Amino acid sequence: MLIKLLKYDLKYMLKNMSAFYILSVFFAITTRIFFNIEQSVIVKIIGQISLGCMISMIVSVLINTMMRSWVRFRSSLYKDEAYLTHTLPVTKNELYNSKFILTFIFFFVSFAVILLSLFIAYYSKAAWQAITDYIKVITTGLNMSTFFFVLIALIVIFLEVFNAIQCGFLGIILGHKMNSGKVGFSVLFGFIVYLVAQTLVLGLVFIYALFDNTVMGLFKTATVNIDVNAFKVLAILSSALYIAIITVMRIICKKILNRGVDIE
Amino acid sequence: MNNMELLEIKNLRKTFDGKEILKDINLSITGGKIIGLLGKNGAGKTTLIKLINDLLTPTDGEILINGKKIGVQTKKVVSYLPERTYLNKQMRVSEVIDYFSDFYDNFNADKAKRILEDLDLDTDSRLSKMSKGMQEKVQLVLVMSRSADLYILDEPLGGVDPATRDYILDTILSNFNENASVIISTHLISDIERILDEVIFIDKGRIILQSDADKLRKSENASIDEIFRRMFRC
Repeated sequence: MLIKLLKYDLKYMLKNMSAFYILSVFFAITTRIFFNIEQSVIVKIIGQISLGCMISMIVSVLINTMMRSWVRFRSSLYKDEAYLTHTLPVTKNELYNSKFILTFIFFFVSFAVILLSLFIAYYSKAAWQAITDYIKVITTGLNMSTFFFVLIALIVIFLEVFNAIQCGFLGIILGHKMNSGKVGFSVLFGFIVYLVAQTLVLGLVFIYALFDNTVMGLFKTATVNIDVNAFKVLAILSSALYIAIITVMRIICKKILNRGVDIE
Repeated sequence: MNNMELLEIKNLRKTFDGKEILKDINLSITGGKIIGLLGKNGAGKTTLIKLINDLLTPTDGEILINGKKIGVQTKKVVSYLPERTYLNKQMRVSEVIDYFSDFYDNFNADKAKRILEDLDLDTDSRLSKMSKGMQEKVQLVLVMSRSADLYILDEPLGGVDPATRDYILDTILSNFNENASVIISTHLISDIERILDEVIFIDKGRIILQSDADKLRKSENASIDEIFRRMFRC
């Protein structure tokens, strides 16, 4: 049944996100074209407009991935559609897992579309060389491989955004427990949950730092010179903490849902 | 299944913000009956129906369907029509039919298409392009195209024109098997009176009467509609 739920959730998201994906790639192509043909004033203006549109589409892709995930979660579990969702012969865990996996998939898809758009618009041997040189400067300083640096950076970014989406889910569930009619409660609880999660990560890193002077340096120094080992520890520690917090939030969400809902 | 308890409710209570909406509800329903759940606005009819369908959580008490607590197994055998439009409006009717086919083993897609055709409803239409009345008809068709043990219809005639009501009632009558039961909640008692086997009167969160419809008519020497008006006169 989870696969069936996921099928319809994916269809919904694809319907709502595909326009942003297509437009993002489309404006990336036009940006590429207009910046590479003979430059006249009009072509330059069109190129700049294309670039602006591409950037706004990339931002829209990012925002919509988060917003649509929340909207889908709320509409399907707590609004009119909930009359169908909660009467389907599926468990509450399957309902939650479907939304969880949906968010996971679409975050990856959106991320891929953003990278593709940037690649189409900007790729050149010189640009690629500049980027790799820049990363090399960082990785040499940090004494780590480029692959490991890119991987860890992507994982931390992914976990941070995924954590924010999970906070939204928990906020929606808690908000509806308090008042099923008002979206304000969901927003408020989502914000509170996010603040608590971030404070928890920071607090736990600080507690760890009490036993590790290299990491404590991050809290004490005002300069941007980060100790190599501190960066590695921080990246791995924050990733582990995000995974733990996401897992705990997931368990709380499921527990509350399994206790039953009150649909207005 | 006849005479075996299809739906059993024991000491059910529901409170919202400390206010008791349903008070100590005890109810038994056997198979093969059409039951009218009747009461004034705010009496607790929809709350009771939502509790049976897992849309609300009981404060106290127990609900059993075929002897099982509310869950996946009971949802397979309960076909529920809410009083509001609840389908994803972005979908076409044909997509909703596929959706029901995917999730309900007892859903008959051919039957649904046939009834929709009888009602002049196009399966290629998007729900967002349909009127509220048309959407309600689609929902009723989907619900009645399942071979369920218990059908729960909350105000099925509410948004429907009088000309279509008879067709809908005939649809209800001719689309459930003899072992199944139908609970109909409505204000339009005179419209459904002819099909009722049993009535349940609910008032201020309590069941004040559960009786065989014919016996009640005989003992009170009046129609159910008249008895209802008499009992609930303001």
